[in-house]
Amino acid sequence: MLQVDNIVTYYGNACALHGVSFRIEENEIVSIIGANGAGKSTLMKSIMGVVRPRSGAITYQGENITNLPTHKIVGKGIVYVPEGRDVFATVSVQDNLEMGAYSRKFSQKELNGLYEEMYTMFPRLKERRKQMAGTLSGGEQQMLAIARGLMSKPEIIMFDEPSLGLAPIIVDEVFDRIKYINQELGISVVLVEQNAYMALTASNRCYVMENGKITKEGKSSDLISDDSIKEAYLGM
Amino acid sequence: MQGILLQLIVSGIAMGFVYALVAVEYTLIWNACGLLNFSHEKIIMLGGYVFVGTCITALGMSNIMSAILTIILLGIFGALIAVIIFIPLRNQTRLIAVVATVMLGQILNEAAVLVWGPVALMPKNFLSGVFTFMGATVAKSYVYIIIVAVIIIALLELFFKKTKPGKGMTCVSINKTASALMGINVKVSIVITLILSFMICGVLGIITAPIFTVKQQMATMIALKGFCAGVIGGFGSLPAAIAGGLVLGIVENIAGVVLPAVFKDAVAFALMILFMLFSPKGLVGVRDHVRNLQENRKQKKGKVNI
Ligand SMILES: Nc1ncnc2c1ncn2[C@@H]1O[C@H](COP(=O)(O)OP(=O)(O)O)[C@@H](O)[C@H]1O
Ligand SMILES: [Mg+2]
Repeated sequence: MLQVDNIVTYYGNACALHGVSFRIEENEIVSIIGANGAGKSTLMKSIMGVVRPRSGAITYQGENITNLPTHKIVGKGIVYVPEGRDVFATVSVQDNLEMGAYSRKFSQKELNGLYEEMYTMFPRLKERRKQMAGTLSGGEQQMLAIARGLMSKPEIIMFDEPSLGLAPIIVDEVFDRIKYINQELGISVVLVEQNAYMALTASNRCYVMENGKITKEGKSSDLISDDSIKEAYLGM
Repeated sequence: MQGILLQLIVSGIAMGFVYALVAVEYTLIWNACGLLNFSHEKIIMLGGYVFVGTCITALGMSNIMSAILTIILLGIFGALIAVIIFIPLRNQTRLIAVVATVMLGQILNEAAVLVWGPVALMPKNFLSGVFTFMGATVAKSYVYIIIVAVIIIALLELFFKKTKPGKGMTCVSINKTASALMGINVKVSIVITLILSFMICGVLGIITAPIFTVKQQMATMIALKGFCAGVIGGFGSLPAAIAGGLVLGIVENIAGVVLPAVFKDAVAFALMILFMLFSPKGLVGVRDHVRNLQENRKQKKGKVNI
């Protein structure tokens, strides 16, 4: 449903993506793994129109979205939960959720229904709904960022390093919700991770990025037993 | 004596609100696109000229209709300036936008003489006269300034805390990329900001017209002092801007009694420099400092274990 063809993205004169192609189909979880600086976030930002590729094309449901402004891409149903969560620190938890639904014209009743859905999925957010988001712990902020992303009822949601800096027990919880989002809510998921083992076990397919290029792709179950992957990313 | 004191307090609060509105007006733009509007003094002046020179004098409209039309026209002008200056220049080097807004101010300044002539204009029967109570005579204009400012601040508070576009603008001021990722159209948000900011400038031009008369330099002092108010309160925060304005207005008026009158204007700038040296985050910084001290004391007493 989302297809990226051979995009090249620069920061000033530095080339961060040297012709990257990528696709995700309905109901898939696709992971992207790679070392720090490989270009994973840049690929996400290129899809969202936060940075502009110099060449190549991004197509969503058959429509070219390469040059659409970010807010229009969100309106089409693609949501990106950025690295470092980026919750609005001085805004309440519930207002953060409301902002997640900015691109949709929901009635107050629909909004309230959505809040309840999010609070059922992330009960700790409910207790803290009036608190400012900046006062939440790292794990809670990640939950909020995920819930905020779901508020617009997206068709694709892309998580950038959702496990970064979280305690292992919270990481399990986050991955559990990500699987739920895919399996129960039927949303396609792109999962960017440095934690290769978690990413490979959670996803159907996987792309491996190195220095701004995709160096390997395939079924996650195949890659997890691939010797070079084992050595480079799984430390085995 | 009591009467004089009351008089000073009322006029101090009124000027404080004027500085507060100036601080709010440019803080809005700063928050929305990270740029200072160096033409704001001349936008306030434009409000005064459109109100007295065009609406009242040339078109012969009533005071209230003139005020409404002026505010609407300034809002439209704000949208125009958003599209031709602030949106295209927000991602350029800061200097380019600084020069552009300074030039806009210059153009308006010269245009004012061409359009409305070099003689200062005075609105007739507008917020004139005095109230007398408790032995004090207070100019009506000061009382109206306080009322109008309180209404504007309350409306802004409602807008930012209760409405979707208002909350969106708050988020844009916190993190532009994250806001765009929520589906917020950052450009539209800049246009709305400029409209609001210029409308507030229009109101300032109208309500200060009876005090300063309408002339090219009518807003020079309040624009500078409004800037001081923002620094004193804590740059980038609306409530801090309002607090800074009120503190400045009152301190300045009291200083006017204690010190020789010529020092009155210097007080604002001295206060700003003191804050820059000792609390660069303004009153917000002072508040945080006091909170930290209290936290530390509590921790020492063992009441809080973090
Ligand atoms: N805003 C930026 N400006 C300049 N260079 C950047 C910027 N963001 C990322 N880069 C560079 O682009 C490359 C890819 O970064 P990134 O996409 O963040 O990698 P990853 O997400 O895989 O860690 C890195 O070399 C990084 O230094
Ligand atoms: Mg990254």
